[in-house]
Amino acid sequence: MGSPAGGSPFSSVVKRPMEPKPENYSTINLRLTVESDRLSLFSSLLGQGFTLKVRTGCSLRELLCEQLGVHADYVDQRIQTIFLDGKTVDDVDTAVIRQESTLALSAAMPGLAGATLRRGGAYAAMRRQISHQNTAGHNSVADGVVMLKLFNLVALELGPGFLKQGIWIRGKHMENFFKKVPDYFWPGCRAAEIDGTPLKVEEIRRLEWRHRQVFLKLEVKESG
Amino acid sequence: MDKLLRIDMGMDGGPKASEEPLGDYAGLAGRGMTSAIIAKEVPPLCHPLGKDNKLVIAPGLLSGSHAAQSGRVSVGCKSPLTGGIKEANSGGQGAQVIARLGYAAIVLEGKPGDDTLYKVVINKDGVEITPDNSLKMMGNYDLIDKIRETYGDKVACISIGPAGEMKMAAASVAFTDMEQRPTRHAGRGGVGAVMGTKGIKVIVLDDTGMPTRSPKDPEKFKAANKAFVQGLKKHPITGEGLPSFGTNILTNVINEAGALPTHNFKTGRFDGAGNISGETQSEIMKARGGMVAHGCHKGCVIRCSGIYNDKDGNFVTKRPEYETVWAHGGNCGIDDMDTIAELDRMDDDYGLDTIEMGAAIGVAMEAGLAEFGDAEAAVNLLKEVGKGSPLGRIIGNGAAVTGKVFGVERVPVVKGQALPAYDPRSVQGMGVTYATTTMGADHTAGYAVTANVLNVGGSVDPLNPEGQVELSRNLQIATAAIDATGMCLFIAFAILDQPETFEALVDMIGAFTGQNLTADDVTELGKTILTFERDFNSRAGFTQKDDRLPNFFKEEPLPPHNVTFDVKDEDLDRVFNW
Ligand code: SF4
Repeated sequence: MGSPAGGSPFSSVVKRPMEPKPENYSTINLRLTVESDRLSLFSSLLGQGFTLKVRTGCSLRELLCEQLGVHADYVDQRIQTIFLDGKTVDDVDTAVIRQESTLALSAAMPGLAGATLRRGGAYAAMRRQISHQNTAGHNSVADGVVMLKLFNLVALELGPGFLKQGIWIRGKHMENFFKKVPDYFWPGCRAAEIDGTPLKVEEIRRLEWRHRQVFLKLEVKESG
Repeated sequence: MDKLLRIDMGMDGGPKASEEPLGDYAGLAGRGMTSAIIAKEVPPLCHPLGKDNKLVIAPGLLSGSHAAQSGRVSVGCKSPLTGGIKEANSGGQGAQVIARLGYAAIVLEGKPGDDTLYKVVINKDGVEITPDNSLKMMGNYDLIDKIRETYGDKVACISIGPAGEMKMAAASVAFTDMEQRPTRHAGRGGVGAVMGTKGIKVIVLDDTGMPTRSPKDPEKFKAANKAFVQGLKKHPITGEGLPSFGTNILTNVINEAGALPTHNFKTGRFDGAGNISGETQSEIMKARGGMVAHGCHKGCVIRCSGIYNDKDGNFVTKRPEYETVWAHGGNCGIDDMDTIAELDRMDDDYGLDTIEMGAAIGVAMEAGLAEFGDAEAAVNLLKEVGKGSPLGRIIGNGAAVTGKVFGVERVPVVKGQALPAYDPRSVQGMGVTYATTTMGADHTAGYAVTANVLNVGGSVDPLNPEGQVELSRNLQIATAAIDATGMCLFIAFAILDQPETFEALVDMIGAFTGQNLTADDVTELGKTILTFERDFNSRAGFTQKDDRLPNFFKEEPLPPHNVTFDVKDEDLDRVFNW
């Protein structure tokens, strides 16, 4: 399985309107130029969640395939564990995305717990209390914001696409990332720019991110 | 694997080893073997630390052959933690080497008259049992270093640390891995304490000169093993997810499900989960020159394990598993990977079950001995266990004892054993198994077999409590059968999803043993094992009231979903109606 045909998990380059207008936070645009072999380090950040401006009131499949441009095969084969507002989703065609929903995407998981949480799996009965109830039929389509979390293989495969387009993340997550990222990230981070102004890479570690909303965009260079 | 090795530590004139044919135990392996011997030979009302208890170490059906993933070993006894029958299993090199030495089981029995500590060496020439008090209270790491000096780096070891010598109910039995490190443990139920009562510190296994076990039909076996390996490699879990992230791939997902027991089972989400997730852990390991995909024994092609180094690139421990990361992490509010790795190393060195220790420290934190999230305090509490101070002895006897001593009501145990890393309020079907299993809150590995062989899963009505009961019943039957084969449990998804991989496994077992396995055989084997175990437990005094989760699971709603465990007692009592 994996990326269908080993290629991009995105079926098309969809122009996604990524910038919601966060309220109560000052915003900051951070642009980093990083080497491609450092991309996997961003998995932990993608797992904390980032916000996207989307059309809500649609099915999960519509959001993933039509709005975000993820390949249908990838959705069906790779994304085997899905949570909508913390509840396990069995059917991507009937689960409806609401304003400010949190959507988490993961590959299939090991163990009985993994089998139980898997969408439409043989053991779904074991977690009926936390299964997402179908919400189709009550949709009113509108502009809205969702939070997306990407885990494990899905973060490695879909993450770079989102990071290159830019993602909105909470400042506290950005700060935690810079604090905890292994040291070998820094030599592979070649350039940094804040609100269009270049600055020394090491300075981004010292900045106060906590009370901001960060628009992070990566430019990726081949390693070496 | 056509004989039993019995080592009687209580003989007049000193310990004595003897070999005997398998007799009634022929054809059994793994948990099938350990539970059959315990149920038949151990008086259920005996004291677990007394002379009448036995410790049985049995490799899997295909251990010692070229079959992939066949290196699990079962360790059985009457448990000092639960008071019931116990099977704890482990990876490491032990299963392969015991099997090549020709033993279907090693049975330690009797009890020495004094506190002399012994070393047992088993090789092609026989068994040597020698007193060696210089090994007393050694940690597993120092012990194995010392063994290496004498016996070289090819032998495999089975050992106990200070916790086993102090007969703590959370003590494990350690098995060395491919690098001869004591990183693999039969952790659950206090099996290490029983080894301690036998006065055996270490069993040194040397299979030099012994052949690999050969199948009845070598050609068919080779082809089936090849297809089996291909199936494991192509599946996204066994071929990609586990080698990339290890079992700790689960932390983020279980947390998102609201099923990650946090702060001693108070909530189902941990704020710091991202800092200790498999994704973060793998990046730390890579950055420090550790190994991300690594097998716990030769013949593992999945390689869910790895090497965790410190900041300077020095080995600390194997990749801490999901259960360990949860127990020492979220359950205690600790979100620092290095602290969790240090605690894992200490558990392995003292010879302790990581789940029981994390749960006991969580209960101690609830009691106010430390704040949740205080990493230094957690390390200090574990050091107390290693030292055997009065406080350490309390914690080293597990969560139930710790809760009792410090007057804590929320104690997450069934039959005295701590629950693993999934809150049964969110995943209620697992709660049914935790409540009713013969082992005490554990043992849920048989899911792929239930779907393939017993044909259950999809047909179960999710809204009917009987559905949970039926699933749990079949899972427990299948798990007992899988545990008897000695195959690593992580083969499960590949055989669940890929019929050809399941067929390859069945063919491989058939070609090896010369007997074709049918669905009925698997079901019967599982039922027979569970019947032995239930019978033992009932003779040991267990009743339906022991098949219950603690009350707080029914009374305290678990955030974020605010659910309680709502499977009725009468439904739990139907699990074993077959
Ligand atoms: S998959 Fe993991 S537990 Fe299983 S044999 Fe390999 S390393 Fe050991």
